[in-house]
Amino acid sequence: MNFFSDERADELRNIFFESAQELLQALNDEGLVLERDPSDPEVVRNIRRTVHTLKGDSAACGYRELSELAHELEDVLTPELAKSANTHLAELILSAADIFDAMLAAYKGEMQPPAGDSLREMIRSVIAPTGDSGDEPLLPKFAWTEYERLVISQHAVRGQLVYNVALVIDTNCPMRAAALQLISNVLQEVGTVLVMHPDADTPSADVKLVEVALASHHQADWITKKGKIPAVVSRILVEQLAASEPVPAPEPEHDLLGILNDVPAPVPAPADEPAPAPVNPAPILGTRGYEPHHGPRTDAEKAASERQAVALENLLRVDADRIDSVLDLVGELIISKSMLQQAVADFGKRFAKDPLRSKFADAMGFQAQVLNKLQRSVMKIRMVPVEQLFRRFPRVVRDVSKQQNKDVALVLEGENTDLDKTILDALAEPMTHLVRNAVDHGIEPPEQRIAAGKPPQGTIRLNAYHQANQVVIEISDDGRGIDREAVIAKAISSGILKPDDAARLNDTEVLHLIFHAGLSTAEHITNISGRGVGMDVVKAVIDRLKGSISIHTEVGVGTTFRLRLPLTLAIIKALLFHVNSRLYAVPLGSVLEIARASESDIHVVDNHEVLQMRDEVVTLVRLNKLVPGASGQKGKRLFIIVVAMADRKFGLVVDRLKGEEELVIKALDDQIVATELVNGASILGDGTVVLILNISAVVERLGRAAMLGNDGRLVAGATV
Amino acid sequence: MRQPVRVLVVDDSALMRKLIPQIIERDSSIQVVGTAMDGTFALRKIEELKPNVITLDLEMPRMDGMATLKEITKRYRIPVIVVSSHTTQGASTTFKALSHGAFDFVAKPKDVLSAQMDEIAGELISKIKAAAGTKVSPNVHELDFIPAKANKRKLERRQPPVKTVAIGISTGGPNALQYMLSQLPADFPGAIVVVQHMPEGFTELFARRLDECCSVEVKEAQSGDMLLAGRVLICPGNRHIKVRRMPLGDIVVLSDEERVNGHRPSVDVLFRSVATEFGRDCIAVLMTGMGEDGAEGMGAVKQAGGLTVAQSEDSCVVYGMPKAAVERGYANRVVPLDAMANTLQAQCVAGRARTGANTQ
Repeated sequence: MNFFSDERADELRNIFFESAQELLQALNDEGLVLERDPSDPEVVRNIRRTVHTLKGDSAACGYRELSELAHELEDVLTPELAKSANTHLAELILSAADIFDAMLAAYKGEMQPPAGDSLREMIRSVIAPTGDSGDEPLLPKFAWTEYERLVISQHAVRGQLVYNVALVIDTNCPMRAAALQLISNVLQEVGTVLVMHPDADTPSADVKLVEVALASHHQADWITKKGKIPAVVSRILVEQLAASEPVPAPEPEHDLLGILNDVPAPVPAPADEPAPAPVNPAPILGTRGYEPHHGPRTDAEKAASERQAVALENLLRVDADRIDSVLDLVGELIISKSMLQQAVADFGKRFAKDPLRSKFADAMGFQAQVLNKLQRSVMKIRMVPVEQLFRRFPRVVRDVSKQQNKDVALVLEGENTDLDKTILDALAEPMTHLVRNAVDHGIEPPEQRIAAGKPPQGTIRLNAYHQANQVVIEISDDGRGIDREAVIAKAISSGILKPDDAARLNDTEVLHLIFHAGLSTAEHITNISGRGVGMDVVKAVIDRLKGSISIHTEVGVGTTFRLRLPLTLAIIKALLFHVNSRLYAVPLGSVLEIARASESDIHVVDNHEVLQMRDEVVTLVRLNKLVPGASGQKGKRLFIIVVAMADRKFGLVVDRLKGEEELVIKALDDQIVATELVNGASILGDGTVVLILNISAVVERLGRAAMLGNDGRLVAGATV
Repeated sequence: MRQPVRVLVVDDSALMRKLIPQIIERDSSIQVVGTAMDGTFALRKIEELKPNVITLDLEMPRMDGMATLKEITKRYRIPVIVVSSHTTQGASTTFKALSHGAFDFVAKPKDVLSAQMDEIAGELISKIKAAAGTKVSPNVHELDFIPAKANKRKLERRQPPVKTVAIGISTGGPNALQYMLSQLPADFPGAIVVVQHMPEGFTELFARRLDECCSVEVKEAQSGDMLLAGRVLICPGNRHIKVRRMPLGDIVVLSDEERVNGHRPSVDVLFRSVATEFGRDCIAVLMTGMGEDGAEGMGAVKQAGGLTVAQSEDSCVVYGMPKAAVERGYANRVVPLDAMANTLQAQCVAGRARTGANTQ
């Protein structure tokens, strides 16, 4: 029987994981600050508080290993440590963040968390840089209790010799309990066992050391000889205690502790034992308010932090699922709105003179407006600033550039640009790959940069901004750029490009070869860039998000990857059209223009159909090849929807346009529509189902395949 | 129906701000009216929400818990329960908070998804209710912390005690104990064993603090520690303590047996053992605290011929444990906190006179 229902427990765990992630991010940020200024006590204090909260939260959730490790870290983060300006401290904090992260991941997956010994090692080396590790874990302590000391001293007072005996039990000794009994028996023969730790009655299976206070008239070597039982005791230490000369007779009963004072104090615990409760002589942190160490903060700073705190306080943490379910309902509303619209339109047709018509129209208009606002506000809830994504990159750039001995500055811009949370989360991995790549492959080593007349420090710039209904994220570096010939050479050598075709490719097409799975895995794999995510995966993720990626590069000057992403995934403005009497849609955002043409305008060049549009040649993609059934409208005029795909223009050939409409995207069960060509579906007001095409997949399949000529069937089919 | 207890939860951890309300609102008579992430907000929200009780985390950014507490006790008469972490530093801050007028403290919830949670919840809930039921008068708890090392330890020769005093105490205990023990002289002839309901990790520092401001010796008990005149042994958190007569003197023994009355340490365990071991030569004192722990044990002491003392209602922060003993007729005497030290002194000195007379 648990206190919390499973549901509640899950909810708490989710809150924990989410806030822990924020704490780790804060730890990373603070660690980086500390790296620049290792002596700032304020930063150390902040870190300590962060670790403290992490400790408390993880203890609350029962994640003991994490809580203990955080506790150990918290304990060393003293003001003295801050004063020592230890340069290893930043490293320690950053590694701690990594290990905590790994532990969190393990907890999430309900696996055993990593032990964190490496961190403990680092903690130890930071507090004791000399690193003297006493390798004697079995030092006897002879920590007799008060009463035992009294017993011992009573024997000593009577003039008996008392020995402290420590026996190390042989590691190969199989039965520890029996060993204890044996030791006790042997020692009883030599004298009187006054105290024995652990005592023979409560044997523990893993006892390694037995401590005994023994009164005996024998000499120490005799005891040593007798006590060293072969195969049971591997080592023995005998030291004589108390006075051999008679102790002056004390007043009986009235001086209990006076005698005890003669007993030598217990041997101090060896260095690697946990010291008894480290007493911190320093003033306790966080109790008396902070003294400003860098002069008083300006009012503006204070006001800013105040504002931020107010904002934080008014934050409401809501499960993303709950928002999604509201969004779903809004979606349903939009569908029902179009049903209503349809009905009202039909009504209008049937009763053209009816005064109700205009009333309906007014009400519809009003409802549409409210719905629009409602939809927008719900969408806004899902929006988070892209800063949440950017925050992680200072650490990434720092780690990779350090590994590679490069000097790289990271510039972040447009962090306040909002983006759908789902998209943002999905972007984390591909962005990380692109940023790593930029440091790894883009930025040159300092000496090369100097030779090329550039500043030795490279710059990577992340930028985000809104453009039309899209979010653009740019990752640019001022490195060496991508060399066209190198890419072609690699593509040919890895067999994804025929040498003959190479010459025909324009620059953009060449650049996009790097997204080819065969090519990116063939890149030389360092442990930086070869981390499971290749450029093909980057591309795949962006496609899945209905976004696009483009590359601008100039050899010697730098490279910019530009990601274009929809503001949201749930509702899109779409262009609807018919192909072979079936209804399809493409996101309006990707449509550049719509043109009309007749079959006679289409030319076949190099096995693919093209259309001359003004001064451009557009490759055509015949959607009716995707659709079974007769393409019955030969010789008629065609509609061409021009879309931009990877910096190239493609023309989708369709039969008839239907118009634009807001579509609520419904995910499709893969069992029903087993094709990557379709992104989702939607239901129109009249109940018609419309499939939303995944343009990049369609173009890939019909356009590019034909272009590269590595798919015989499609090429053959492409000739009219 | 009675008005619910309105609680404000102040904590910088988002998890705790979620968790603590969920724990305490299981009791229908408690209503969490708000949460605040630091002291500044807490003060603002107190003004706005008028809570009856505040739970306060001491470790917070910006305005920290201690400053917040001082501000609250200065401006309002709202009891504050400190939610404290398990570190040495946490314990130290906690005791400082208690001496600055915090009503009581609880350890930060640990392992909330385990079965033990019921106990933690029970403790927090009952403390909140107890806090809501008290009238907090300003500065009444504010104790001066005067180091009293001067005349201590001069007494090199320690004597066996004439009597063993067993004290059971809970909510309101830290301040009451400090008040009483600091009035005992260094040559107090009895030995004192204290069960103070307190979580693990706090008692060591608690004992050290008391030792610094009292003339008698105060120490956290270890197994085998001897009962000596002028010595106070505080039972460590999460252990039970018993006394045992030994050939060379009397000792305390710690154990890890099951909780009794939901407590470990339990006052009943201590009281029963002093009744068994010492009979007439012991005094059982039940002081401020919630619940009934110790009442039955007090009965056993009375039965065995020992003296039983209950702290008076008006001097208790929470009149729970003494009340239970008084109502069952187990208390020989009811003594206010002011007079407690004198009562014990008088009883022990009388004991010495008697034993002295016997031996001659």
